[in-house]
Amino acid sequence: MASGFHAIPDAKPPRTFAGIAHASPLLDRRAFLRMAGAAWAATLAPGGARALSRTDAVFASGFRDRAGSFGLAVLAEDGTLIDRIALPARSHGMAFSPATGHLVAFARRPGTFALVVDQGGAGAPVTLAAAEGRHFFGHGCFSPDGRLLYASENDFDANRGMIGLYDARDGYRRIGEYPTWGIGTHDLAVSDDGRMLIAANGGIETHPDFGRTKLNLDHMEPSLALIDAATGALIERHGLPAKLNRLSTRHVDLDAKGRIWFACQYEGPRNDLPPLVGRFARGEALHFVDLPEETTAGLANYVGAIAVNRREGLVGLTSPKGGRAVILDAASGRVLREEAVADAAGIAAAARDFAVSSYGGRFAESRADVAFDQHIQRLGRPA
Amino acid sequence: MLTRLRLLIPLMAGLLLSVPMPAAAQEGGTPEPPDLGDATVVADVMEKAVDDVIRPGYRAFHASAERLAETVGAFCEAPSAESRAAAETAFRTAIADWSRIEIVRVGPVIEGNRFERILFYPDRKSTGLKQVQALLQRKDEADADAGALPRKSVAVQGFGALEFVLYGTGAETLVGEPESFRCRYGAAVAANIAAVAGELAAAWDAPGGIAEAWKHPGPDNPVFRTGREAVTELLGILVHGAEAVRDQRIETFYRHGGTARPKSAIYWRSGNTWLSIDANIEGLATLFDKGGMAELIDPDFISIAGNIDFVAKSLRRVAPTVDPDIERAVSTPEEQQKIAFLLVNARDLVLRLDTEYGGAIGLGAGFSFADGD
Repeated sequence: MASGFHAIPDAKPPRTFAGIAHASPLLDRRAFLRMAGAAWAATLAPGGARALSRTDAVFASGFRDRAGSFGLAVLAEDGTLIDRIALPARSHGMAFSPATGHLVAFARRPGTFALVVDQGGAGAPVTLAAAEGRHFFGHGCFSPDGRLLYASENDFDANRGMIGLYDARDGYRRIGEYPTWGIGTHDLAVSDDGRMLIAANGGIETHPDFGRTKLNLDHMEPSLALIDAATGALIERHGLPAKLNRLSTRHVDLDAKGRIWFACQYEGPRNDLPPLVGRFARGEALHFVDLPEETTAGLANYVGAIAVNRREGLVGLTSPKGGRAVILDAASGRVLREEAVADAAGIAAAARDFAVSSYGGRFAESRADVAFDQHIQRLGRPA
Repeated sequence: MLTRLRLLIPLMAGLLLSVPMPAAAQEGGTPEPPDLGDATVVADVMEKAVDDVIRPGYRAFHASAERLAETVGAFCEAPSAESRAAAETAFRTAIADWSRIEIVRVGPVIEGNRFERILFYPDRKSTGLKQVQALLQRKDEADADAGALPRKSVAVQGFGALEFVLYGTGAETLVGEPESFRCRYGAAVAANIAAVAGELAAAWDAPGGIAEAWKHPGPDNPVFRTGREAVTELLGILVHGAEAVRDQRIETFYRHGGTARPKSAIYWRSGNTWLSIDANIEGLATLFDKGGMAELIDPDFISIAGNIDFVAKSLRRVAPTVDPDIERAVSTPEEQQKIAFLLVNARDLVLRLDTEYGGAIGLGAGFSFADGD
């Protein structure tokens, strides 16, 4: 796979990093470690992530503790906090490879680090620093064989989403990048056969010079792009209808049939009731799920996370703004259950149903004295 | 020695303050959060924030921008040391007024590129500088037309462009030549800034507009359906504003132990860097205080508000004292110490607002603003 990808068919010349890869990332890493501090760097020893290898380690999630420190929590099926791995700053989404046991935590946008830890505890964690002119958007995924890590990134000066390609067999060296064919890319997923990448292009322009300020709410360009994982070529790009151009397509997950479920956050008038969740597949148009009005209102125009429980045919959604978790039937799109969860954060498929977390420290049936970030990663094959 | 002591005291105070002290440990127990679902609880805060801070802020900026346009126009007509001094004073005042209200990075200011039209910063690749220099070289009369400016690059429309006209290379020629192209272009830029400021003031004063929406959250409200959403937005302005002071206004040119880039500092040409940073902090403190945000805190934990005020005051005490010559400021140990103090305390301000205040009013320990993640 690593040797098979080709140049990016784009108007701009692709950045292969042939010249930069050997010089810049090392420097960046040193600078990054200086910034992160010695105390944190000291945690980067082999075995620093030993908790991940425990048989009861089922989930991971970013958190912040009371003292304002950030980390990655490792949790059991019932949500018991097993251990913590220190992080230098706030993380957001994660990627896990069942093939290699590698877990990656990405910095929250516009962050510039990602940390790779080995579930088996082999080797020290690897720190990735964003390439020059790029920052991480907070999400990524592995190729099914675990050899490539795809990271959602921002080419902020050109205002275009990118997918950074990192070679897991070569210390996560950045070996190239593809465009996402959109702007404000957030979540990224890969098809089960590894041939297609799915980019949720939220359509919102941001730039690190302006922090998290949304720069183009009056002319957003949300889209969902299907991209050839081997070449970076665009397969299909699904824009949203003009009346929904303020509907930011931000998170995706795949069901057992390979259909792509997407969840949205609406930047238009707060008293609108836009569709917030939908599904599609390659060759099919976007299909929005027609949720009952009270469910849409409960999600407060803001779905923060989406997850599919493949075995049980369920789709789960959480909204921190609405304080709500909603479970849908994947076959019909019908609402099966709604639950009030104050500050609902992440959702992930559990052995049965879903694990839901909150900013207030709830995780499944447990509670911890930390604030969980917006996503939960299941450590294992998709449930 | 006395000078050194004066410097060390605030610095030490800042370093001590930077140690997070959870409110619970300070006062025993946990603050009782207000019922943000009750519209009346937040109505007072939103009304004060809008009517006593945001709207007056935009009006003041509009007035000083109009004054700036008049003064620069008068300077062009009859250039003299006096009219130049008047233009410089008006420039300072307009920058201070803008810097107080620019902390609001939501609403009408981020529509239609208004923010960038007023202030294109940072200009990391000198894009703006090159465009302004080329424009001054070209002397195309169309560029001195304020009515045409909005259709041009944002980099030639705002404070950065005007600062180069008044203080950049070649500015010394302004006094010798009445109605010079350079000066008339500067006057057009000032008029453009005033026009955008006018749009902002009008948008916030429009009956049935954004001000009403902010003050009356509810199910049919186009901006906030609940008081909780409204207060979250206010706190977001404060947290992101304090982050911006640290990350985008200081660390762009000075990082402790890093390479200093004094020519990346905002308003370095006119010596208004610290004036602007001080006004940013003043804007944050004003929103917190005049907005009555302390009223939402459990009275037993009111020290959380006191700590925020204290940190803001510490920042404001030091910011105006840093050498406005940024080359000197980043290379003199005493000045470096002051900048380090500002960085440490700006970080502390972020934590106190986000974690302590956010937690005390029940906003998920201020962990998220549900702003697109």
